[in-house]
Amino acid sequence: MLPFLKIMVRNLLQGPSTDPFPFAPAKTPARFRGAAVHDSEKCILCGICRHVCAAGAIQLRAAEDGSGMQFMLWHNSCVYCGMCAHYCPTGALTMSDNWHLSHLGEDKYTFSEDSFVPFGECAQCGARIQPRPNVIVEKLGGRAPDQFLLCPKCKRESLVKHASDTNLSQFREKQ
Amino acid sequence: MLKLIQKLVPRSPWIYRLNAGSCNGCDVEMATTALIPRYDVERIGCKYCGSPRHADLVLISGPLNLRVREKVLRVFNEIPHPKVTIGVGACPASGGCFREGYSLEEPVDQYIPLDVIVPGCPPRPQAIIEGVVKALDVWRKRLEEDTCCRF
Repeated sequence: MLPFLKIMVRNLLQGPSTDPFPFAPAKTPARFRGAAVHDSEKCILCGICRHVCAAGAIQLRAAEDGSGMQFMLWHNSCVYCGMCAHYCPTGALTMSDNWHLSHLGEDKYTFSEDSFVPFGECAQCGARIQPRPNVIVEKLGGRAPDQFLLCPKCKRESLVKHASDTNLSQFREKQ
Repeated sequence: MLKLIQKLVPRSPWIYRLNAGSCNGCDVEMATTALIPRYDVERIGCKYCGSPRHADLVLISGPLNLRVREKVLRVFNEIPHPKVTIGVGACPASGGCFREGYSLEEPVDQYIPLDVIVPGCPPRPQAIIEGVVKALDVWRKRLEEDTCCRF
């Protein structure tokens, strides 16, 4: 009898255990994986997100004028595994805690995370290269920031020039 | 009299669950939505029913694979108009992780028109409740305009 009274008093004090949603906002756990969010400022178009996507929800489409790539993530195909956010080298893809994703059937073909990522430019000749946002320059191009911003051709030339210059100066020192 | 019924009926929708070859993840979430007091879809007047002939809202899970397609369509056609279809999970909307599989014929839309889509793999119970609330609006509109789900 006593344990029952204890439970009864506790339940009376606690109130209902029902989550008040949809009449009040629902609690979302801190690490809940909701819709993926893409930040085009940080994207380097490496394509690892498309490669690891289990459901094939991510598409990278080349723009018609060749100025960049269209990043598309279809929330209806996504299985919210978070692999893309885990493998993204620059943190451009993150899983938000937004789970308010229900939508009408007619919006099916417009319901996607859609962003345009322009290509980068070689600092020397202006040729098209992969984008070089600051996040990746800080991470990978810290040792030689000048060379990191060049296209492969200009980089090769600058390396050869650097090597020949040092060789020449060493040769002169010997003489 | 009919007007009064039309006004009252969206306050107690009866839900029918239709498993179209689902992996059972979404079915568990739908059962959770109805049966666990924490989520309790019956607060908005919903009731799960066993017979398709009594249903108003249809919750569909699964990518509608070839093996169950005929059976699912037979049951779906028994549900009286105006029915509102809710696709629960990624599968009915796109095929989910089974997309482009040998046993599917996509999209599901060519057999069953989806009115509301709740993406997720599986979706949260609260997300399903949100979808049901959206479906109620669709249903109210259908009753006013006197249309059915066939387009």
